[in-house]
Amino acid sequence: MEQIFRVSVERCIACGKCELACAFSHGRDGLPAASRIRVVRQGSERGIPLTCLQCHDAACVAICPMLALSRDPQSGAVRLSETRCVRCGLCVAACPFGNMLPEKGGRVAKCDLCGGTPRCVPFCPTAALEFLPAELALRGPDACRPQDTPLT
Amino acid sequence: MIPTPQAASREPRAEAVRAAPTSPGTVVLCIDGRTVRARPGTSLLEAAGAAGIEIPTLCHHEGLEPYGGCRLCVVDVSREAWGEPRMVTACLYPAEEGLSVFTASERVLAVRREILELLLARCPESPPIRRLAREHGIVESGYRRNPEPTDCILCGLCTRLCDQLGPAAISLVGRGIGREVAPPFHEPPPDCIGCLACAAICPTGHIRFSVSDSGTTIWGRTFARLRCPTCGRSHLTAAEVDFWAARTQVARADLERCDACKRAVTAETIARLTAAG
Repeated sequence: MEQIFRVSVERCIACGKCELACAFSHGRDGLPAASRIRVVRQGSERGIPLTCLQCHDAACVAICPMLALSRDPQSGAVRLSETRCVRCGLCVAACPFGNMLPEKGGRVAKCDLCGGTPRCVPFCPTAALEFLPAELALRGPDACRPQDTPLT
Repeated sequence: MIPTPQAASREPRAEAVRAAPTSPGTVVLCIDGRTVRARPGTSLLEAAGAAGIEIPTLCHHEGLEPYGGCRLCVVDVSREAWGEPRMVTACLYPAEEGLSVFTASERVLAVRREILELLLARCPESPPIRRLAREHGIVESGYRRNPEPTDCILCGLCTRLCDQLGPAAISLVGRGIGREVAPPFHEPPPDCIGCLACAAICPTGHIRFSVSDSGTTIWGRTFARLRCPTCGRSHLTAAEVDFWAARTQVARADLERCDACKRAVTAETIARLTAAG
C-alpha cells in the first residue's frame, strides 16, 4: 500500500527535530544544513516542514539528462544515484516546490524516505509529520488518531 | 522537442536502468578469487566495484556509455578452454557466467604502469595523474617529458557528457599528437550554454572556467547569469534556462526561481490551504 507524508501545519511548532533526525540518519554529523527536510519558519513557533513530495510525474526525473533519478520500486521514493549524477543542478531548477536541496560543491540532497520508514516522523513531538497509507491520510486528522504515536 | 541522437538513444537506456533491479537471472563469475554475482550486461568494472574491488579508471562515468579510452582498467580474463588469459578493458567487457577475472596480476599491473608512465609523460604537472602514478610506484616517467605539458588526457568525458546533455558544443578534434578537445574551429562555441558540466566531470581539472556575479566564462564565452526574480540570487545561466525550457516540459518560471524561494511559495500555499480547511 502506498504511504505518503501528511503534514498538519497547525501542529508544527518549528522545533526542527525532523531536520536533526534527517541529518543524523543520513550520516553527515547531524548538521541541519545537510537535512533533506526543511522547516520553513514563520515566527518562532510556527513552521511548515517541507520535503520531497515524491511526485508521480516528477519534473526532476523528467529533466535529469543522466537518468540519475529513478523510482525505487521498494520504497516508492524517487531515488538519486550519486554515481550517475554529474552535479548539473537541473533537478534543483526543475523542482516546482523547491524540494531538491543543493549542497556545497554541487551535490544535491533529496528525501529517499529512508528506504520506506522516514526517520523524521517518529521524532516529531506533535505528530505534525505523519507517514500514512494514502487513503488514511486523506481522511482527516481524527480518522487515524490511534496511529499518532510520536516518540517523546 | 528537438529530436537528437541523445534523445533517441535515451529511451532504451532508461528502460534498462528501470528494469535492472527486477530483471531475472544473475551471472556468477570469479574476480580475484572471489565469487561475485552480477546482473547480465553489467560491465566487469561495475561488477567488481559492487563487490568492493576497486579497479582504477579515469574515463568511466556510470551515467555515460563506456568508452575504453584511458585503458587503465585493463584486467586479465580467462576461461578454462582459453588457455592463456586475455587482456580486456573492464569498463567495456561484460560480466559473463564462469569467467575468471584478475584485476591485479603481474601482467595487468605492468601494463597499467606502462599506461601511467605515458600519461605522466604527457601530463607531468597534473596532480591526479601524479598521485595515481605514485600509487603504482612511479615517480618519474621513463618516457620523454611532454615539451608542452597539458592536463588533458583525452578521455573524452567532457565531450561525451556535452553530447549526452544535448548542446554537443565541444568535441575531440585532430589526430595523433594534434588531438585535442576543442569547440568548432577553435572559436567560442555557439552551442555552449555555460553549464560547466564539462569542467565538473574532467578528471584532471584541465577545463578552465570562472564564475562571478556578472557571468560564467568558459571556452572563451561569457554567459549572463540569471537571477531569481524573487531574491536575486543567481543559480543558472540565461542560456541554460532557454535551452532546458525549450527542450523539456518544465515550466520556465520554475527554472528561473531559486530553490529557497520556491520552498517559501510551497509553504505559503500549504499554510493557506490548511487555513481554508
